[in-house]
Amino acid sequence: MNAAELKKIANDLRLTAVEMVYKGKDGHPGPALSIADIVSVLYFDEMRVDSSNPDWEDRDRFILSKGHACPIYYAALSKKEYFGEEVEDFQLRALGSNFQGHPVMNKIKGVDMTSGSLGNGISIGSGMAIAGKYLGKDYNVFVIAGDGELQEGVCWEGINSAAGHHLDNLIVFVDKNGWQSGGSIEETIGANNIKDRFEAFGWDAQEIDGHNIEEIQKAISNAKNAKGKPSVIVCDCIKGKGVPYMENNNAWHKGVPTQEQYEEARKVLGGAL
Amino acid sequence: MAGFKGTREAFAQALLDIAEENDKIMFVSPDSLKAMRATKFAEVHPDQYVEVGISEQNAVDTAAGLAAAGLTPFVGTYAGFLTMRACEQMRTFVAYPDLNVKFVGINSGILGGEREGVTHQFYEDLGILSNIPNYTIFTPADAAQTYHAVKLAAEINGPVYVRAGSGRETDVYDIETPFSEEGIRILKKYGNDMLLLSSGFVLDRVLKAAEILNEKGINVTVGDVNILYGNNPQKILEAIAKVNTIMTVEDHNVNGGMGAYISKLVVENDPKYVKRMGLTTFGESGPAKELADAYGFSPENIVKTVEENLK
Repeated sequence: MNAAELKKIANDLRLTAVEMVYKGKDGHPGPALSIADIVSVLYFDEMRVDSSNPDWEDRDRFILSKGHACPIYYAALSKKEYFGEEVEDFQLRALGSNFQGHPVMNKIKGVDMTSGSLGNGISIGSGMAIAGKYLGKDYNVFVIAGDGELQEGVCWEGINSAAGHHLDNLIVFVDKNGWQSGGSIEETIGANNIKDRFEAFGWDAQEIDGHNIEEIQKAISNAKNAKGKPSVIVCDCIKGKGVPYMENNNAWHKGVPTQEQYEEARKVLGGAL
Repeated sequence: MAGFKGTREAFAQALLDIAEENDKIMFVSPDSLKAMRATKFAEVHPDQYVEVGISEQNAVDTAAGLAAAGLTPFVGTYAGFLTMRACEQMRTFVAYPDLNVKFVGINSGILGGEREGVTHQFYEDLGILSNIPNYTIFTPADAAQTYHAVKLAAEINGPVYVRAGSGRETDVYDIETPFSEEGIRILKKYGNDMLLLSSGFVLDRVLKAAEILNEKGINVTVGDVNILYGNNPQKILEAIAKVNTIMTVEDHNVNGGMGAYISKLVVENDPKYVKRMGLTTFGESGPAKELADAYGFSPENIVKTVEENLK
């Protein structure tokens, strides 16, 4: 799929995610919007998946390690028709809804792993990647982690052992948007040289613009060609990307737009009013 | 089948035997291959041995990923490094999605931890796991029972925890006796003066105490409770119904383990007096059997406690 089409899909996903949070009156729009372009490329260009056969053994796997960004994930699965037709009202976080505050694998078709508590996606993805090699499958495992999330120690346990196992079927995206729940990463604990640190652990590492579709596509292609080691693609992203009043405003880490704000988001993201 | 040197050797043999017939079995090691006595498994099945280094949370997460891809991983290491250090991973990424991961926790109890001291003695594991849905909890009494418990764990779909020791266990069972799926096995029936329930590696001490009591004219029944919070406690309730007084003896903190489980069953179904013997403090280093004696598990102290609590 070409970059313009994938960009359009990314914005459609953003719109669905904002609407999901607006209607559900809860959720994390900022962290969802920052990864929309990566998710668009993965689900609509890169990943070998079949929504009519979500448990297909040969499918590529995806783990949203920063599970709170799930509105964009749910939007992608819906657009990909994992739920039959596209979902009108997700009832995000509502009692009885399958669309929980963080993704749950045995509630939602297409979710390969439950996630939400930070730090675990890389280790779990390593397990899936080791299984792929053991079973003789050629699938890839894609993980999206947050830059704040990398403060969790278990991430580095997984990064260490993934390199030790030469998991070249594991590709991790880091959503480097510079923010975490409580504030900026710089102020919280200091800037942290993500790419250098992965390289020091023996990973193939790239750093790209996380909102440039062609760069994302090229980085994935490079990562797949890096043999004998896992790959990280550090993505410079803007938290809240696509909705101007949310961009780089950490108040939207978690927050619900007013009706006026929702309509403004619809307008800029190309939705019908 | 020959006997085993200890529970860890029994685990390792069971794993080898299961893997003979099941190529989906994996062993995930946070540098626990030697501790789990599983070096032969790694030699025979190198592709099914996943070493992740000293990183228990990573080991449990890795196992979750393996299970999500259709494999049946075992994670074995010290009981507390699993149930405490990797507790959240055991809960959120294994139990919640109900993935088919098996855990074997060694050095459980003060007898199992013995000379290592408190950092490597674990008497909280059962209390922790009993609060997490979807776990099947096995507490085999010796090496032979551990062998069968591990084999049964592989047959069950979903998370299972097998409590193991460190080789200081005394054999109680013969090698052929299967691991009871009824959650209890009555081992001695001298009489109904009291029902003595135990589990794990102090069971031999309880049996010895029952023998001494019998010589003194106090006739008790001894049961081995080998599954905690199981789905079908009917046989345990039947044993409870026959007596007026019950005493539980376990190498675990008195809160949250077998005694708590039995107390719950008794209170909800057939209220009567229950005395719980177990640990209430941290332990310390020492030779296993002396240590167990010092912390109240000598047959003599069990006898004395029975006598004090007869109703």
